[in-house]
Amino acid sequence: MEKVRSHLMLCSGTGCVASGTAKIKTALDEELRKRGLSDEIKIVLTGCNGYCAEGPVMSVYPEEIFYQRLTVEEIPNLVEEHFLKGRPYQKLMFREPEKKAAIPAMKEIPFFKHQVLRVLRNKGLIDPEKIEEYIARDGYQAAAKALTEMTPADIIQTVKDSGLRGRGGAGFSTGLKWEFASRVPSEVKYMLCNGDEGDPGAFMDRSVMEADPHSVIEGMIIGAKAIGAHYGYIYVRAEYPLAVKRLRMAIDQATEAGLLGKDILGTGFDFELDIYLGAGAFVCGEETALMRSLEGKRGMPRPRPPFPAVKGLWDKPSVLNNVETLAQIAPVILNGAEWYRSLGTEKSTGTKVFALTGAVNNVGLVEVPMGIPLRTIIYDIGGGIRKGKKFKSVQLGGPSGGCIPEHLLDIPVTYEDIVATGAIVGSGGMVVMDDNTCMVGTAKFFLEFTADESCGKCTPCRVGTKILLDMLTDISEGKGKEGDIETLQDLSRDIITTSLCGLGQTAPNPVLSTIRYFKNEYEEHIHQKWCRAGVCRNLVTFQIDEKLCKACGACLRACPAKAIVGEKKVPHKIIQELCVHCRTCYDTCKFKSIMILPAGFEGDPQEFLEKNAVGAKEEK
Amino acid sequence: MIELIIDDKKVSAEEGSTILTAAKTVGIEIPNMCYDNRLRPYGGCRICVVEQEGNPRLLASCSTPVAPGMIIRTDTPKLRKVRQTVLELMLVHHPLDCPICDKAGECDLQDIAYEFGKPEGRFIRHRKQMPPDVRGPLIELTANRCILCGKCVRICSEHQGRGALGLIGRGFPTVVQPAFGEILECDYCGQCVDICPTGALLSKPMKFQARAWFLEEKDTICPFCGCGCTLTIGTREGKILRSRAKEDNGRSEGNLCGRGRFGTDYIYSENRLKTPLVRKDGELVPASWDAALKYAADGLAKIISENGGDAVGAIGSQRCTNEDNYMLKKFMSNTIGSANIDSSAAFGYSKARKALNMAFGTADHAINMKYPLGKEAILIIESDLSITHPVFALNILKAKREGSKLIVADSRNTKLTRHSTSQLRMNAGTSAALINGIMKTIIDRGLFDRQAASSIQGFNELEQGLADYTAEKVSAITGIPEADIAAAAESFANAKSRMISLTVKMSENSKGMDTVLAAANLANLLGDEPDSLQIPAEYANTLGTVRMGVRPDEGSKGIAGMLYESSLRGMIIMGEDPASTYPFSSKLQSVLKSLDMLIVQDIALTETAKLAHVVFPASGWAEKEGTYINAEGITQRLQKIIDTQGQSLPDWQILRNLSLAMGREIGTRKIDGLQQEIKSSTHAGQPPQIRRAFHSMKHTSGEAPSAEYPLALVARDILQHSGSMSTRSKSLDLVVSEPYLEINEEDAVRLGLSENAHVKVSSRRGTIYLKAKITDEVPAGSVFTSTHFPHGRVNTLLYYPEDMTSNTCAVKVESAKG
Repeated sequence: MEKVRSHLMLCSGTGCVASGTAKIKTALDEELRKRGLSDEIKIVLTGCNGYCAEGPVMSVYPEEIFYQRLTVEEIPNLVEEHFLKGRPYQKLMFREPEKKAAIPAMKEIPFFKHQVLRVLRNKGLIDPEKIEEYIARDGYQAAAKALTEMTPADIIQTVKDSGLRGRGGAGFSTGLKWEFASRVPSEVKYMLCNGDEGDPGAFMDRSVMEADPHSVIEGMIIGAKAIGAHYGYIYVRAEYPLAVKRLRMAIDQATEAGLLGKDILGTGFDFELDIYLGAGAFVCGEETALMRSLEGKRGMPRPRPPFPAVKGLWDKPSVLNNVETLAQIAPVILNGAEWYRSLGTEKSTGTKVFALTGAVNNVGLVEVPMGIPLRTIIYDIGGGIRKGKKFKSVQLGGPSGGCIPEHLLDIPVTYEDIVATGAIVGSGGMVVMDDNTCMVGTAKFFLEFTADESCGKCTPCRVGTKILLDMLTDISEGKGKEGDIETLQDLSRDIITTSLCGLGQTAPNPVLSTIRYFKNEYEEHIHQKWCRAGVCRNLVTFQIDEKLCKACGACLRACPAKAIVGEKKVPHKIIQELCVHCRTCYDTCKFKSIMILPAGFEGDPQEFLEKNAVGAKEEK
Repeated sequence: MIELIIDDKKVSAEEGSTILTAAKTVGIEIPNMCYDNRLRPYGGCRICVVEQEGNPRLLASCSTPVAPGMIIRTDTPKLRKVRQTVLELMLVHHPLDCPICDKAGECDLQDIAYEFGKPEGRFIRHRKQMPPDVRGPLIELTANRCILCGKCVRICSEHQGRGALGLIGRGFPTVVQPAFGEILECDYCGQCVDICPTGALLSKPMKFQARAWFLEEKDTICPFCGCGCTLTIGTREGKILRSRAKEDNGRSEGNLCGRGRFGTDYIYSENRLKTPLVRKDGELVPASWDAALKYAADGLAKIISENGGDAVGAIGSQRCTNEDNYMLKKFMSNTIGSANIDSSAAFGYSKARKALNMAFGTADHAINMKYPLGKEAILIIESDLSITHPVFALNILKAKREGSKLIVADSRNTKLTRHSTSQLRMNAGTSAALINGIMKTIIDRGLFDRQAASSIQGFNELEQGLADYTAEKVSAITGIPEADIAAAAESFANAKSRMISLTVKMSENSKGMDTVLAAANLANLLGDEPDSLQIPAEYANTLGTVRMGVRPDEGSKGIAGMLYESSLRGMIIMGEDPASTYPFSSKLQSVLKSLDMLIVQDIALTETAKLAHVVFPASGWAEKEGTYINAEGITQRLQKIIDTQGQSLPDWQILRNLSLAMGREIGTRKIDGLQQEIKSSTHAGQPPQIRRAFHSMKHTSGEAPSAEYPLALVARDILQHSGSMSTRSKSLDLVVSEPYLEINEEDAVRLGLSENAHVKVSSRRGTIYLKAKITDEVPAGSVFTSTHFPHGRVNTLLYYPEDMTSNTCAVKVESAKG
């Protein structure tokens, strides 16, 4: 290997590519060439780093200095400062939101500091398109160990002992799943990977497939050996072209290296792997629907039993594991169950990757040991709520999950504790909401998604989600009626108990959990015609608090409807007839002088707001 | 067996059965909307949920297998509550337009709403609005009434193997539609209409004919093919309005094809005979029964006195009852004194009987509708059973679904070839050569028990005869690649259980006795039971006709002697129309015209009746009592459902009256007496011993195409029709009302033909005009048509082979313009 002074690990995950990695790469190449550094400094395109919001990002090795928000214009400065003069370039470094001090080292940045990387062990460190780099990081050692030193029973026992649970959402023991399939006698079995990540806002699996495709393949080889499968498919949604491209490359390279195909590593074990592109239906993340889709049929779930371990793809015993689950297999095999259990809690072991997003300062992909408090993730890693606003709730588990309010933020992130709140760990979507979020609107948003994605097979899900959505829409438009909350709850429970698959059985969760913690908002929408977040346009009146207004004119200039009048030193006023209830003034005002009041409000606003100033409280 | 408790009752259920079916065995009905015992569990409607003790989740009883020790409750307040909700949600889809819906009164949704409904629906404003689709000829689809249980989609694709309907879209806007929203073009079996739990799929001919509660329903047997399906006929004010299948009913177990469902209106055909007719001054004119009987009796008496009874012959009918055929036989032997009797089975099933008798020593081969199930390999020889015996073929498709290898040798694409595991696309009429090739491979590769086979008479001749059928030669004759034949032979011979099935029918000309003998040789070679050869009798009462003795004895005249030679002076033709449905019609029409006395008894004024001296009006199948014997050999009873039309009488009564007119009492006045007599005279003896024998068969090519007549004409059935009877059905005519000539694109281009072009088709025997249908379903070099439509006159072209082999016919096709 040629000797180089520095490696520039430039992120080329989907997020950074979207924000301009390609241009940065060209600019860097150009600049390094110009300065005669091309031989000393090598650019490596890596998979997703996780800190997508600050992209394009790059870390410089061996110093591990982290640069973010790279721009083509700044590249000459960066190269000159860092690589010629030896002074890391502060302008592109991370700065703490409050103190504004630049932090050069990646591991010192709060976003990275609290993370423990197991699934994402290779993120930003290797070129995902080169199998050698994966192998250099102990890649395929676990597969070799599993194929040469371990019996299927050994593998299953190790995975069982590790306590690893399926990361796709349901949290079923991976070892047990393998054991079931291994016990069913059949000449043909299938080892399948679920890369049909469908939760809005979730991109854990995509990142793994893009940043470290071989880790998934290695997990599948080990799983195939454990259950006795010789064929496998990775089901990836077609919307992930980069993941597909890298998986294909990885499969080709692994096949060429004798790690896939016939007689792997001379052990006599065959495993052939292929990719199947899904058309992106959410329900195809459900295992039976995914298998139907893989068969080329309409992706609809079917009743279980028979479970896929007995009758799965083409009615043959099949195991379907999530990408993130599979990526953890190799370290488990290599380091043992005890090592894996060293993190996490008794029943929720190891680490979990979350896609942290929403109203936090640092959004991106985070991997944390299970059992750490939610608050740590949101405030320490996430850097707290953006723009100094107040935290309202966090949605866990995407459209199948629920919201968790402020007073529960100290619960540990484990499967059991999260379920007790009415949410689920799910695949790891974590959407943080501030106090400008309408909780009825939140429920409506998720129901729009599930009603649209319901496959239409079973009555409660097909019709029920549509009715829930229609009722939520009514409530948000001011057409809510007495009794709607009870009907929503009643219908939700019936949908949950009667639906065929996980989609319908969880789709009403956002409704139930928002009612559970924010019933007051529903009541305000229905009875007071008031959306306290100012989101539901029919349910607000915006007024300016003259005592707080500094007459700065900011709102006046921002108002798209020219509904605000005023002049210097005279507190401004909103002309209600012209107001389109867009909330721009509220978001613009730095002095909190805009009041959100019920539709058609008359009376003393201060008195009203004081009387109704209640936070989230749990339903008794 | 698995023991469980359902609603405090102990139940022992078979492993793999569901809670719903287990409950049924002890009389507990769990409401359901998407379950059907013919389909895989779907679990979509969620009405059938039940509670299991100790399980917080509800279980869909239709799809949850029973497990030992389960304690199930099927009716609790909690269940009633969630069922109400699910029903409320279903009714979001449903407009409650029961006052204008034909389904009202027998609608599952209505019944369940009645049981679980609440007076108020909380959500009904959310309906979707879809226009009804009325474009197809027989089936109407009203999407607004559809609750998306998917049963129609599944019965069509899973069970019928057709897949004409699909679920389009997803979530709430999902609709059931034909592909791309086009017109529903399908088998028109109407199984979707029966299975629909609402009024979303309805029969168009039945539309607005009667409220369900005014319909009187009676079960009877279908008059079309040999399957012998049970029809539930609905009548109002003495008129048949519809036919349907009830769950699990009869031999057909609740299945029907389009003929049985929509074709029974043939009985109201416009040219039904109302009175007897006699020929006066060359014209057929109405006459009284007395006059007509006397006319006929006198004519027959004259022939008998001048030439003896032997100068009279009779043709019975595979569509008439046992009683009718028995009486014809008795009339001929007792009153006329003639053994000249036969039926159109001579062109079809009789060939199979004869061959089977030669091969196994037993002539009476009934099939078993369930025989295909569980067979490891099924070989279909040039037969479109999904068209000729649709309900039997459902079990072939089912066997395939359940894992059987389905090897289909055919010259054209059919539903069976589409579902086959391997298709041997062959030249029409070369089955015997193909089977010989298969046997040669089996012998060469030693895939059989030589010791057992060589102990069967004729083995050496067979082996010597097969020496000539090298892979190369067979491939040249059949057009199938050598490797495919060998592979088929291997997989068939190596299977642990086998079935060969084919049809031998009057309306087909590509198979004959030689085909059956070859197939029987194969069965004997592999040591299979005679039953492994499943050759279904073609019509509703083919087996009955033969068993009643309507077949020629040694020395007496059969069809060939009676119709293709001028040897008789008088004939009685009962329920058959040789002039249009038998091959080489010009020849036999001249024979019929030469008769001194032609007596025809039929329900309609057929082409043959038009040549008759006396025509007797006969009662239709639903207008009389009697029995049919289906292809399985099971005697089934017909019910008199409606009054007979005009002065028509059951055929057996006509014959009895004719005998009386000739001065001879030949039987009782009452049908029960007659049935008693049949029973005692056809008393089954000991089952015959099997005597196996090989008969070395050579492939004969039928009428070989020549320079002048370059194409092979293959006569085949088409789905909606099975003979001249179905062509009288107005409903079936809405689908297909004329024969067409199916021709491969290659040939069509060469001949300058476009789709629907009028073509002139000529053989050595005559010329007809048809419309061309260009399709890649048929191979180049062959053209296909059906003989069913009398006005198509296809039989003008065909011939009747004396040696009973296949008789594909060489024709010339030209554009009719020039």
